Amino acid sequence: MSTPLHHYGLQKKSSADDVIAALAEQFNIRSEAETTLSRVYLDSFDWRLYQAGDQLYSKPFEHQLDLVWIGEGAGGEVHTHLDRIPQFFTDLPQGALRERLSRLLDIRALMPQVEVKGRVRLYKLLDDEEKTVLRLSIETLSSRNPEEDAFHDLPERIRLQSVRGYGTVLKQVESFLVRKLGLDRLGDGLLEEALGVLERRPADYSSKLDFHFDPNAPAGSVAREIHLNLLDTVERNLPGTCANVDSEFLHDLRVAVRRARSALTQIKGVFREEEMEPFKSGLGWIGQISGPSRDLDVYLLDYDSYRASLPERFRADLDPLRHFLEEHRQSAYREMVSHLNSADCKRLLEDWRRFLNRPHEYSEGADAADKPVGQVANKRIYRTYKRVLSEGAQINDESSATAFHELRKSCKKLRYLIEFFQSLYPDDKIQPLIKALKMLLDNLGAYQDTEVQANKLREFAHQMVAEGEVPADTLLAMGMLVDGLLRRQQQARDEFYSHFRVFAGKENKAECKALFSAAASSGSVDAK
Amino acid sequence: MKIIGVYNIKGGVGKTATAVNLAHLAAREGHSTLIWDLDPQGAATFYFRVKPQIKGGGRRMIRGQRPVDDQIKGTDYENLDLLPADFSYRNMDLMLGDAKRPIKQLLRLLRPFSGEFDYIFLDCPPSISLVSENIFRASDVLLIPTIPTTLSRRTYQQLLDFIQGHSMREVSLLPFFSMVDNRKKMHLEAIAEMPRHHPELLTTQIPYASDVEKMGLNREPLHAFAPHCTAAIAYQTLWGEVKQRIG
Repeated sequence: MSTPLHHYGLQKKSSADDVIAALAEQFNIRSEAETTLSRVYLDSFDWRLYQAGDQLYSKPFEHQLDLVWIGEGAGGEVHTHLDRIPQFFTDLPQGALRERLSRLLDIRALMPQVEVKGRVRLYKLLDDEEKTVLRLSIETLSSRNPEEDAFHDLPERIRLQSVRGYGTVLKQVESFLVRKLGLDRLGDGLLEEALGVLERRPADYSSKLDFHFDPNAPAGSVAREIHLNLLDTVERNLPGTCANVDSEFLHDLRVAVRRARSALTQIKGVFREEEMEPFKSGLGWIGQISGPSRDLDVYLLDYDSYRASLPERFRADLDPLRHFLEEHRQSAYREMVSHLNSADCKRLLEDWRRFLNRPHEYSEGADAADKPVGQVANKRIYRTYKRVLSEGAQINDESSATAFHELRKSCKKLRYLIEFFQSLYPDDKIQPLIKALKMLLDNLGAYQDTEVQANKLREFAHQMVAEGEVPADTLLAMGMLVDGLLRRQQQARDEFYSHFRVFAGKENKAECKALFSAAASSGSVDAK
Repeated sequence: MKIIGVYNIKGGVGKTATAVNLAHLAAREGHSTLIWDLDPQGAATFYFRVKPQIKGGGRRMIRGQRPVDDQIKGTDYENLDLLPADFSYRNMDLMLGDAKRPIKQLLRLLRPFSGEFDYIFLDCPPSISLVSENIFRASDVLLIPTIPTTLSRRTYQQLLDFIQGHSMREVSLLPFFSMVDNRKKMHLEAIAEMPRHHPELLTTQIPYASDVEKMGLNREPLHAFAPHCTAAIAYQTLWGEVKQRIG
C-alpha cells in the first residue's frame, strides 16, 4: 500500500553521511541499492491537474516510459506504460486516468512543466525480526525548465516512508531528526521545490482576471496595471500559439487582445488619444490576422457535435468537411504564425510594454488619469449598462440581425468593464448582475454564432466545390447542418426576451443604480 | 475485490506456502493485496517477519470492537499487507459464536476493504468448524492444495458434502495437487484418477521441493529468493490459472 511520505531538508552543516551515521547509532539501519530519479512533471499550461489536487509525471521504464498519476481518484499511485508522453487525454488507453484527464484537461494539452533528476540512496530500518519498519532515502536532486540546458540543485533532502502498522517507528525517527539533529520538516512536495529553485511556482497562470484595486487609486495607473496584465497574457500565450500546442493558447491570446482593445476604448481619458492610435490599430491587427485560425479551431472543436447532430446514416458523409477544415487550419496557422513572429508584431508589443511601464503622470488630453478609479469605473459601467438597457428594449420580432449584433457588442463592453473593476464592488451585489449578464450574452452568442456558422458553412461548401471534387452527399450533409443551425438560431431568438427580462428586471435596475449611479451624476470624467 | 480462501481440512498440505506465494505474486503484478493469517500457529506471519499479535487481542477485533484497519501491517513487499495471526485465534470458534450472525462475521469484517484491496488471501487453519464455515461464506473462491493420495480424495469429498449440505454453492472450489512427488507410485495413480471424478481440478501441480521448505529459513516468499526454481515457476503457473478461473 502507498504510505505517507515525510520530507526533511538537510542543512549545510550536517551532511547526509553525518545523518546516516547518527541514525545508525540509534536504529538498526541498513543501506540498500542506490538508484536514480528522473521525472518530467506534466500539466496543462494553466495547471488544471495541480489545481484539482492531482500530479502527473513521466519517468523512464525499460524501453518505454512510466506515466505516474497521483491524485484523489488514483487511490495512491497509478502507473501507465506508454511509448511516448501523451499530448491529449485521447492519447491514453481507456481507464481511470483517461477518464480523469478528460474531465480535467478537456481540450488542453499536457506539457512538460519541470524536469527533475538526481541520485537517491536508499536505506531501511529493521526491527529485531529483521523486518523493514521504515524506509528512508537521501535525495540529491536538481531541476530545470523544459528545453533549457542548465540544471539547478535542490537542497539535499531526506525522505521517510512509513510502513503500514509501524507508525511509532516513524514518530521516533522524526523526533530524532528534528530534536537531535535539528533538521527542518519540508512542507511541500518535490514539484514545488523543483519549481522553487527555478524561481517558479505551480499554478502561476490563469486566463481569469483577478484584480484588486483601491477605489481611490488614480485611474491612469490602474489602467496601466490592467493593460500590463493583459499584455502578459498575450506574451505568455504566444509561444504555445506559434507551436500549435493546443487551441486554448490562441483563444486566451485573442481574449486578452479583445479585452485590451475594449479597455482602450472604454476606460476613457486616461491616456492621450493620439498616443493610443498605433496600439489600438496594432491590437486590432492581431485580432484580424488570428481570426481565421480561431474560426477553424472552433469548427474543428465543434465538429463531433455537428456530426452527432445528423441522423446516424448521414454522419460519415460529413467527413470530407473535417479533412477540409484540418487542411485549411494548417495553412491559416502558418500564415498567422508568420505574422505573430514578424518584427512588426515584436516591435508593437515592445513599444506597448515600454509605454505601459512609464510612470503615471498627468498629461493634457488625459484628464481622467488622476481621477479616482472608483469614480471612473462607476461612470463608465453605468453609462454602458444604460446603453444595453436601451438597445435591448428596442429589440422586437422585426429587429434585424444587426440590432442583435450591436446589443451583443454593448453587452461585451459592459462585461469587460465589470471584469476589470469588480473588486471595487461588494461581491454579493455584483455577482447577480454578472450572472444575468452572462446568461444574456450566452443567448446573444448562440443567436449570432449560429448565423455566422451557417453562413460560413455555405462559404466552405462553395470553396470545397471550387477546390476540387466534393461528394454531393457531403454537400447535402452540410446543408442539413445549416438547416439545424438556423433552427437553433430561431430558438435563441425566441428565448432572448426571457433572458433580457431577467437582466433588465426591477431588482437588477435598482441594484445597478445604487452601485454605479452616484458618481455617474457627480463625476466629471469625460465619458461619451 | 476477490477473496481467495486457501483451505484444506488436513494440515501440512502446503496451504501457507500457497497463500504466501500467490499473494506475493499478485502484489508484484501491482495488485493491492492483503493476506490474513487466520491460523493460530502464525506461519504466514512468521514468513513475513511480523510479530504474531493483534493489539488489544483477537477477540475484540473479531467481534468488531476494534478496527481491523489498525491491525494491518505493511510487509517488506510493495502492495502487500498482512493481517497477522494471534494465538487467541485457537479459540476463534468461540469468538465467532458470540457474534450476532456468526456464520458471516468474517465477511462482515472484510467488506469495508473492498475499495482498498484487489485480492485478499485467507490462510486458513485446518479442520471443519465455525471458522471454516465463515471462510467458505466470505470467499469467492476456495483454493484447496491437495496431496495426491487416496486419503486426500476422501477429505476433499468430505468438504464437498459439507458445502453442499450447508447451501454454500456460491463459492467456487479450485483443488490442485500440491507437494507432488513423481517418484511415488501412489501420487502418480491419484493424479491419473482424481480428474476423472473432479473436473474442477486445476491442471497445475506444485512439486514437493526443498526450496519451498527454505521459505521458513529465509522468511521470504519463494520468488524473493529463488524466482527461477521449479516450485517458483509452478506457483507462477498456478496463479495464472487461478486468475483465469476467477475472471
